[in-house]
Amino acid sequence: MSQLEIRDLHARVEGQDILRGVSITLRPGEIHAMMGRNGSGKSTLAYVIAGHPHYEVTEGDILLDGESILEMEPNERCQAGIFLAFQYPVSVPGVSVANFLRTAVSNVRGFTKEAHLASQEGGVVGSHLMPMRKFRRELTAKMKEFQVDSSFARRYLNEGFSGGEKKRTEVLQMAMLEPRFSILDESDSGLDIDALKVVADGINKLATEDRGFLLITHYQRILNYIKPDYVSIFHDGRIVMTGGPEVALELEEKGYNWVEEQFGPAELAA
Amino acid sequence: MLDDHTQVLDGTSVPAVNGTDPARDALLARSEARGEGAWMRRFREQAWAAAKAMPWPSLTDEAWRRTRLTGLDPDNFSYSPTHKGRVGEEALSPLLQGELNEMESAATLIFEDGLMRYRTGVAALEEQGIIFKPLDLATREHEELLREYFMTRVVPVETDVFTARHAALWDSGTLIHVPRNTRVELPLQIINWQGEGQAGHHHTLVVAEEGAEVTVMDDLLGARRGLQNSVIEIVQEPGSQVRYMHLQDLDMSAWNLMHGRAHLERDADLRWIQVSWGSMLTKAFLDLVLRGPGGHADLLGIYFPTGRQHIDHQTLQLHEAPHCFSDLLFNGALKDRARSVYMGSIRVTPEAQQTDAFQRNGNLLLDSSTRADSIPGLEIEANDVRCTHAATAAQVEDEYVFYLMARGLSRPQAERLIVQGFFQAVLERVPVESVVHKLEQVIERKIGG
Repeated sequence: MSQLEIRDLHARVEGQDILRGVSITLRPGEIHAMMGRNGSGKSTLAYVIAGHPHYEVTEGDILLDGESILEMEPNERCQAGIFLAFQYPVSVPGVSVANFLRTAVSNVRGFTKEAHLASQEGGVVGSHLMPMRKFRRELTAKMKEFQVDSSFARRYLNEGFSGGEKKRTEVLQMAMLEPRFSILDESDSGLDIDALKVVADGINKLATEDRGFLLITHYQRILNYIKPDYVSIFHDGRIVMTGGPEVALELEEKGYNWVEEQFGPAELAA
Repeated sequence: MLDDHTQVLDGTSVPAVNGTDPARDALLARSEARGEGAWMRRFREQAWAAAKAMPWPSLTDEAWRRTRLTGLDPDNFSYSPTHKGRVGEEALSPLLQGELNEMESAATLIFEDGLMRYRTGVAALEEQGIIFKPLDLATREHEELLREYFMTRVVPVETDVFTARHAALWDSGTLIHVPRNTRVELPLQIINWQGEGQAGHHHTLVVAEEGAEVTVMDDLLGARRGLQNSVIEIVQEPGSQVRYMHLQDLDMSAWNLMHGRAHLERDADLRWIQVSWGSMLTKAFLDLVLRGPGGHADLLGIYFPTGRQHIDHQTLQLHEAPHCFSDLLFNGALKDRARSVYMGSIRVTPEAQQTDAFQRNGNLLLDSSTRADSIPGLEIEANDVRCTHAATAAQVEDEYVFYLMARGLSRPQAERLIVQGFFQAVLERVPVESVVHKLEQVIERKIGG
């Protein structure tokens, strides 16, 4: 059975240990919410799963269907079916959403497999892109479905986008790339209630039986719209508690100080 | 100096060839062999004398402080003296056939080693009264026009030692003259191929009469271990519209010197695209002179030096009349020990009130072995103006690359998109779609190589 298993993961950046033994398994059809304070290492976990080069894994492993992905480049992980929705998507001036997404989708769906060969033989690089008409049709349909204005196809990636527009575009990209496992890093942060509903609605549409989600969040708020199967509390570089949706409610009620009282003060924050 | 120069133009006698200066004798002999009007030999001889009297750039000269010509001996190149004759398209090299066919043009002139080899589409233009012909032919057929405009007022012979040498030694070159209220729909294309070890002096003179509209593309190729010393002159009468694209894709071992200048009279509209891909070293002077009210000029440049290339652009936006607009944007990417220099000046004279003049230079450093110098300057003597300048230098950030890779793009694809995106601000203002496509291909090649 398909699964993404994080096994006793330790990671550091610039000499500082951030992850201190994280273990969690994502399975298709399940939504796993992970809650924790700012600075607890949640985003680091997301980056390490996606393969950010600044982080060094010192112990443990990440296994996709039993195979380690630690040696894989970020694009290879994406092509294997792992998607990270960024908390702060960067803007790329001059690169349109459509142009970028066509390349990304073509890679992930295997259209570009032969491109290298083509370039070696003097062919036009990029000729193995997904056919333009087919891509356009699909993009237009998905933009409508995920409530992204069609003008965004021509706009430069995240350039001048509001917070809500950025998050919605992340969901759109997720819809186009059709990953098996998605890590959503604070996809709810900085959104007003309407924008939050749109984003949550998009995630719910994508949460089908064949897909697994890790929903990283600071607030319980988004869990009013997305029903998790599991909720974990992340504290000081590791998961300290896992349970059903009731954990989120308990945390909401008692606050993060309760976590500290239970599991000790965070060394990381110091 | 101008008086001397006028004298040159008035002379019609053929100078006596004597043996005291072999280089001069050779250039005059070439002029004769090319069948140029006799007045042009006198013009060349005078220019040669002027060049010999002019100083070489010194290390203290501000324009040459960052770009040294160490190792350049301009007399150490060969010239191709014999006429190879006109050929059909099928006899052109595959490279030139490719250049010819990749864009739709109203007419094309192809030069090889300083001489015209091929032309197409010219007859139809002549029916409209449009002149598009090689300069050597024009010295006979359009002497009046050349006497008026050729290196007299836009880029005068004695601008510096290189323009003086150019005036004496010019080889490939084109006269474009578009009469009043005449519009050339498709671009006029000039392709210049220069052989190994040769000195080339390419000239383009565009005269757009009142209300005329024309698009010109100059394509410079070849010059392996050679020297190209070009001059571009654009004269715009009131209300004319010119689109000029200069695509320099010379061999990576070429020396490239250039002087380009445009004069805009009242309500004239210019967009100049300057592309610097090739050459070992480029020093290009590009000047806009807004001489009548209501003029509008865009000067847009892109450059992408790699592997020890040195590319230097020096620009001037000279506003001499009120209510004019000029916008300059030069974007360059640098890779693998490349070096670029950008020096820009906006000069506004006291009478040029209500000037809008903008200048931006952006540099994208693909690795830490590169260096980009950006030196903007303003000289404003009018009080009611809007002038800004900005220079930026940025590295390709890991965060950008990671973001794109996390969406399935390979590292080269991610870097290519970032660089292409960076050039997009210029590319989207290139007026000919096929040229945009061609530029994108070169960018791709540069990133890959």
